[in-house]
Amino acid sequence: MSDRGTQSAGTRTGRRLGRVGAVLLLVAALAAVFAPLLAAHDPSAPSGAPYQPPSLSFPLGTDDIGHDLFAQLVYGARISLTIGVASAVLATAIGLAVAVVAGYFRGRVEGPLMRLVDLTLAFPFFVLVIVLAAFFGRSLLITVGVISAVLWAKPARVLYSDVVKVREFQHVTAARAMGASPLRVLGRHVIPRLAPLAVSQFVRTANVAVFLESALAFLGLGDPTNVSWGSMLFFANARSAFLTDVWLWWIVPPGLALTAVLVGFAFLGYAIEERADPRLSGRRARPGPRRRDAGSTAAEPATPQATGTVLEVRELTVRYRSEAHATEAVAGVSMAVAPGRIVGLVGESGSGKSTLALALLGLLRPPAEVLGGRIMLGGRDLRTLRGPEGARIRGREIALVPQGAMSALNPAYTVQRQVTEAAALTRPDAAAAAVRARELLEQVGIARDRHGAFPHELSGGMRQRVLIAMAVANEPRVIVADEPATGLDVVTQARIMKLLLDLRERLGVSVVLISHDLPLVARTADELLVMQAGRIVETGPPEAVAREPQHPHTRALLTASAGIRAASPAPRPVRGR
Amino acid sequence: MLLRSLNRALGYVGVLLAAIALNFALPRLAPGDAVDYLLPPEVAGEITAAERERVLSQYGLGEPAPVQFWRYLTNLATGDLGVSVRYARPVTEVLGDRVGWTALLVGGALVLSTVFGTLLGFYSAWRRGSTADAGTLTAVMVVDAMPPFFLGLLFILLFSVQLEWLPIFGALPASGAGGIGLVLEAGERLILPLVTLTLGYLGSVYLVARASLVGELQEDYVLMAEAKGLDARGVRRHAQRNALIPIATITLVGLGTLVGGAAVVETVFSYPGLGRLIYESVLARDYPLLQGAFLLLAVGVVLANLVADLLYPLLDPRVRRPGARVG
Repeated sequence: MSDRGTQSAGTRTGRRLGRVGAVLLLVAALAAVFAPLLAAHDPSAPSGAPYQPPSLSFPLGTDDIGHDLFAQLVYGARISLTIGVASAVLATAIGLAVAVVAGYFRGRVEGPLMRLVDLTLAFPFFVLVIVLAAFFGRSLLITVGVISAVLWAKPARVLYSDVVKVREFQHVTAARAMGASPLRVLGRHVIPRLAPLAVSQFVRTANVAVFLESALAFLGLGDPTNVSWGSMLFFANARSAFLTDVWLWWIVPPGLALTAVLVGFAFLGYAIEERADPRLSGRRARPGPRRRDAGSTAAEPATPQATGTVLEVRELTVRYRSEAHATEAVAGVSMAVAPGRIVGLVGESGSGKSTLALALLGLLRPPAEVLGGRIMLGGRDLRTLRGPEGARIRGREIALVPQGAMSALNPAYTVQRQVTEAAALTRPDAAAAAVRARELLEQVGIARDRHGAFPHELSGGMRQRVLIAMAVANEPRVIVADEPATGLDVVTQARIMKLLLDLRERLGVSVVLISHDLPLVARTADELLVMQAGRIVETGPPEAVAREPQHPHTRALLTASAGIRAASPAPRPVRGR
Repeated sequence: MLLRSLNRALGYVGVLLAAIALNFALPRLAPGDAVDYLLPPEVAGEITAAERERVLSQYGLGEPAPVQFWRYLTNLATGDLGVSVRYARPVTEVLGDRVGWTALLVGGALVLSTVFGTLLGFYSAWRRGSTADAGTLTAVMVVDAMPPFFLGLLFILLFSVQLEWLPIFGALPASGAGGIGLVLEAGERLILPLVTLTLGYLGSVYLVARASLVGELQEDYVLMAEAKGLDARGVRRHAQRNALIPIATITLVGLGTLVGGAAVVETVFSYPGLGRLIYESVLARDYPLLQGAFLLLAVGVVLANLVADLLYPLLDPRVRRPGARVG
């Protein structure tokens, strides 16, 4: 589905969370820097009467020995942030070094290093930190050391897989081949590529480090000379602060401050990760009820479907809208398919043919939207059908055969189960559906002993035939076959085309055959449409179009295929998506 | 398949050996004399140099390290983890008293956080980009960021101190109730620690579940499920089936995080499990007990990883039945 729109990096939610996170961290950092200005008293020495309620001099009152709780709160920001950032810097640096040494220089160190990483990751890290801290003492430096000693493995693991990838990039292998020194290659090509991932790992590690510091302090394993949020809560808990009213200014403020910093790191980390992972920012809406299409067709006259056609498309326009701009992937396309006919639709990738295929099945999702036109099937306009109604048409009256060499079959289910599922749509009896599925699979040439196979156990050609079996399970009137033979070798391609022709003979089904391969379509189709940039630029009988192409684009498509054919009769490169 | 299992099994043996070696090495590497880690602090501070020597030779600490390590291993093999300083009882006995409570708490939290984290994650993923998704994401991340000890303290304040609905301390009632009454009261005391620990881990499951389903929804087979005419429920089943695979992997692996969380949650609620025991051992400087608890938790986590590895092929047929992938 080559024409599905690409998204800008990150979602609006992600960016918003990132901003909130940055602001929270900034506030905490300011409190840490200006603590001496904000607090009137020494945080670690008693400065007033115990259990004072909040006052001007003691904004959060005092604890059981008269410590200024507000002073402890602002100075606590120093400890949390210092330990968090220092541990994260150290852990990420160690992780980066290990990843580069193991992934770039490989050799004998790679195996043992990565074993060590796995080993460290397999430990219950939280308990390990407690045990290490218990043995090695309670100073700030030791806390930082202990936390980084446990947290370095995650960044190492994540960065390592990226180093291995970057190492094989062409410009990197070229630089190495030209004799550039390893340090130069690392500094100029590898490290800059790793930077975004290292940053996201740093934020994640800082998040865990701040939490671990507070947990250690809460368990009485913090630095006894410096007050931190965790140690405030340790004393509050140990002295049962919640039994009196002091909890309101003794427990809640440090807990909230800690939460704010942790939320800050978590939000920021999420935003950064979302930018890095395009899958997370993809936004295909869920199936089911959808927003009404923009540009309603209500104003257009309700003309009946042309006689002698099973499927008629009139002036269909589809637009992809991204935040920056809008493009018309399908611009006023009209076509008619007569019963039992094969209509070929040819165009290069990006010409809008896959968008057209999805529109025919009512499967377009935002950011694609139908702007205008009609899709008439059996006297009904498919564009007016929504939700469950649309689902009832799909598979029963119009079916899709997608490119099966790709991942159109669910990897977790056997092929028989997936075909049965399709057959069950018109057969309420489960046994009948299963019998029908076996028949269908045999009809498309899948032997009985392969019916229980999972998709990954079948060849590309067999998977493609399974998809065809699913498409014809409920004897639809029209099959939309989108690149049904792409990615297969020529022999298998010919078999798939023959299967489509057989089905047309047997079931009288009409086929819209979509491909970038003009000669292949020309051999099979009864009628040929050539598409370029969302428009139909040429139509006619296949022989005529192939012999005397009128449009320059058609000629280009023909020569392109001829060139590839002449150069390599072997399997064709995967295209069309 | 067999090679993979063997490789994994070796990895787990490695983790166990590393835990044992670490346990052996820590008191010997850490600052101070080994005697400081063997005797109660008030005793260790008082004794003379000659007495120190005697203690060292009594524990065989004067011998070369390899000999000591061998003795440590053989003791371990016979189930001897030393004697708790604080309780003056064998460490294994003290651990035996506590391990059940932690298993109950951690096991319960694991199940609850996985179930609710997955449900919420799927809920968000189906509505991604919508206000409901953004709201759920934000709320879950905020709750997830709250340190479990703070959350626990808030729960105590709200439910035990202010509302007086639930008891604060311990796992078993002081009253001598028996039978059903005992189970009910124990359950009542389990609620708050369990909810706290569950909320502490829910967020990670949620994020993985959401990302996993969002990823699956962009796969072609989901589009195909729609194209072949399945209703929304059918399409949902297809995507969710595959989205479960990474969730199962992280769930049991996350046990390592959960037992750590148990340490602070049990401390807050004075729950008599291994976590609380770790806290008490740290305060009392009861190092043999601390090490025993650490070893037991490491073994537990390794076993959980093993279970995850055995379950994984059941979820993913590509691992269960690796077939030749012919183009």
